[in-house]
Amino acid sequence: MSALGSSAARSDGPVKVRGQARYTVDVEVSGMLHCVIARTTVAAGRIIRLDVSKARALPGVHAVITALEAPTHRTGLAVNDQPIFASTYISYEGEPIAAVAADTKAIARRAVELIEFEFEETIPMVDLDESVAEGARLVHPDWQTFSLVAPCERYDNVAGEVFADPQGVDSAFAQAAHVVVDEYQVGRQYQAYLEPKAVVAEYVSGRYLIQISHQYPFSLRNRLAAALGVRSSDVRVIGHHIGGGFGGKLDLGIEPYAALLAKVTGRAVKLVQERTEDLITCPSRENAIIRIRSAVDVDGKVLGRDLDVLLDSGAAAGDTPYLCSIALFMAGGAYRIGPTRVRARAIYTNTAPTGAFRGVNGTYLIFAVERHLDHIAEVVGVDRMAIRLANILNDGDKLLSGQTLDDASILGEAFAEVEKVAPWVMETRPPSTDSTSVLRGIGIAATPWLTNSMPGEATLRLADDGTICLISAANDNGSGAVTMGLRQIAAEEFDLSVEDVTTTLPDTDTQGFDGGSQGSRTTHVVGRAVHESAIKLRQKIFDVASKHFEVDVTDLEIVAGAVGVLGVPSLRLPLAEVAMIARRTVGSLGATASYAPALPSYDPSCATGFLFTTFPNPTYHVHLAEVEVDQVTGNVSVTRYIVAQEVGKAINPAGVYGQIQGAVTQGIGYALYEGIDIGNDGRYQQRTLASYRLPLAPDIPRVEALLLEHPNPNGPFGAKGVAEPPIVPVAAAIGNAISNAVGYQITSLPIRPNDVLDAIEAGRKMRQK
Amino acid sequence: MRLSLRVNSQDYAADVEPGTSLLDVLRDELHLTGTKEGCVEGECGACTVLVDGRPLDACLVAAHGLEGTEVTTIEGIGTADSMSSLQKAMVEAGGVQCGFCTPGIVMTLTALIAESPNPTEHEIRVALAGNICRCTGYAQIVDAVLAHTSELQIASKDTM
Repeated sequence: MSALGSSAARSDGPVKVRGQARYTVDVEVSGMLHCVIARTTVAAGRIIRLDVSKARALPGVHAVITALEAPTHRTGLAVNDQPIFASTYISYEGEPIAAVAADTKAIARRAVELIEFEFEETIPMVDLDESVAEGARLVHPDWQTFSLVAPCERYDNVAGEVFADPQGVDSAFAQAAHVVVDEYQVGRQYQAYLEPKAVVAEYVSGRYLIQISHQYPFSLRNRLAAALGVRSSDVRVIGHHIGGGFGGKLDLGIEPYAALLAKVTGRAVKLVQERTEDLITCPSRENAIIRIRSAVDVDGKVLGRDLDVLLDSGAAAGDTPYLCSIALFMAGGAYRIGPTRVRARAIYTNTAPTGAFRGVNGTYLIFAVERHLDHIAEVVGVDRMAIRLANILNDGDKLLSGQTLDDASILGEAFAEVEKVAPWVMETRPPSTDSTSVLRGIGIAATPWLTNSMPGEATLRLADDGTICLISAANDNGSGAVTMGLRQIAAEEFDLSVEDVTTTLPDTDTQGFDGGSQGSRTTHVVGRAVHESAIKLRQKIFDVASKHFEVDVTDLEIVAGAVGVLGVPSLRLPLAEVAMIARRTVGSLGATASYAPALPSYDPSCATGFLFTTFPNPTYHVHLAEVEVDQVTGNVSVTRYIVAQEVGKAINPAGVYGQIQGAVTQGIGYALYEGIDIGNDGRYQQRTLASYRLPLAPDIPRVEALLLEHPNPNGPFGAKGVAEPPIVPVAAAIGNAISNAVGYQITSLPIRPNDVLDAIEAGRKMRQK
Repeated sequence: MRLSLRVNSQDYAADVEPGTSLLDVLRDELHLTGTKEGCVEGECGACTVLVDGRPLDACLVAAHGLEGTEVTTIEGIGTADSMSSLQKAMVEAGGVQCGFCTPGIVMTLTALIAESPNPTEHEIRVALAGNICRCTGYAQIVDAVLAHTSELQIASKDTM
């Protein structure tokens, strides 16, 4: 009856298709008040006066809090740089200055309008190069007073810097046949989960109770406790269904405002963000500038490289000092490179703090590295596929961190799988010059990616009716990791149907630590904990049955949810009866296991400021995109998209496919549509879902997914991470395809119709010279 | 201002401000929270309901203008004991991930199938253009409709 490898349906499917799944926006608590946050409307300035007396006097308003009524210390993920409320200076548009709790949301909104706020506006720091220039105005004049969570290398507007300067870089450039230089600029990408951020907070008997749809409840508990200045055990986080997250619901956000107001008012307080508010303050994927210079020999081999990355942290460092480290893993992408100098800096600007989004900066680093490789191929005059296959990583190759990739030859297999369905044609044709025709192009991109290794825990209990309760703080952000994968893994040791395994939602009071739904970790890490607890529980079941049957445990088996004695078909004890016997004899049966993946070794001297040090349990990915470019409108349609992906073991093939199709779709959005333009005033120019263009059903092709399975001995039944990486090479593959179609090297994201038309024109001019 | 509304074949009466959207009435007054609020600008489609069988964004229509119509929300699809065949197909095909867009998508597709029982993939995708799904990339939602219609054809052949 094994469910492993079957496309079992998700257990929360029925409640979701019927509209019965409860998200945080649906939570109601009796006596609940509604909160609205008052936010700055400019990006930078000095605060002169804040007067909330009129707002407080409005009937129906229960409380208005400002920096005077809230803790004033700063907290953060890497640098303690984020206050609850701005009090002396404004650091970004949308920064909270006050929060209102009122009987209705409409009253709270009116109260916000009554707040008097005087400030002296200053010119915001928006440009990354300006921000790191000598003598630049400091976004945080008091940065030296910020304490550190992680040992970031900081100075001025730099919130974190990773610097690697190995020997041999300059000599590689000295002997190069060609030096290829590129600069890439990429914009922000908004997670655009459909459920806006929401929270319901209560303060009961000295503890904060937080109901929320959050990707990482344990981190939220600790981060909120730190922000409020209380013990982590004084905060309880209860998770609800998550209406999408994609990294945007991983860190502390709006929770402190609801929590503080709940304490002040003694009532439950609900806060639901409006879409524009959510969009302009969400920790989006950061914009960045990537400068890359390669020393190349006559065949296109990269003898040495220089990579310089500026990541926009916005007004708070968030996770960006950690993300700088990813540049060391991605500097060569899927290909061998010589000695490489890497400098990656997380930069403060007067813009909303940025943060995690599926694939983090891997998406644009691979865009840069793969675009640059196409450029190298053009300069050297070699075929784009040939240069890749000649330099692809192999078993035993090392990342710049010194970590060895034992199984990188999977990349070659992935290229071979793609070749089978889309044979590569050596390119000889010149780009079309007919201005009315549709241009066609092909792009390829590849990457290794990691499986997040934060630990997890699971408890399995044998229920009275012989079903299994799977209790874990691991949460299902929609991926199916819990409602498909973990249930399938749990069912396996008991030879049960997946329908006989129930799951829980997170509760930090009752479940063990879980590292959150991030980095494709749940099936791999928590799945392993589920598998180990299943083995333990099965042993306990056998102990009870062996006493009952008076046989040795080695003579027992479980078939179809019943314990049997080997060779004696008449002796059979359904699990429900085991549960009843256990209750009378030894008490109820359950087992818990936790798992923390071993981390690979690396060279700590490889770089300074290196905070995110390992690339555990890697998977390998090759993507191929075919596009059609309309020369008149600049519109791009992706006509074919192929993914070859290493998954270890596909526990649920339909679930795996859903992650690949969904991630590629977000990647197509990143490549073609989704742009946040930030004005010189520091304000986002796209502020609604009408102007922030998301991929729609007619835009997106059906992805062809080719799964490779090299079981990972650490993962449950060999499973590795699946859901995050299929976004990583998408913008690269599409950028390469469009560049191929228009005959001009594209260097920015997103690639909107005007950018396409500009590239067509630039290509034409270039060829006329 | 008094409002009489017929929702899922039941008559409701409420006292709401003029101009209140159907979405606010459904969620806040009638506590039918299956209809989701994603943007309040008619872009995301999470609040799609049927008015006399036609899909509409409940955030954009004033409730008072709908007196005398029949409003159907996600709570009116299927029964307490069984999902509609489309809902079943959505679950089985993997057309559901986070699920927040799902009620709106079920409403849009329910209307599509009622009008065109055997839609092509292109027709399904065009019908879905007003519903944003951030998770699935749409393919398995399209699969659900295709599986649903082919199953119906098989079922009708069986009964012949």
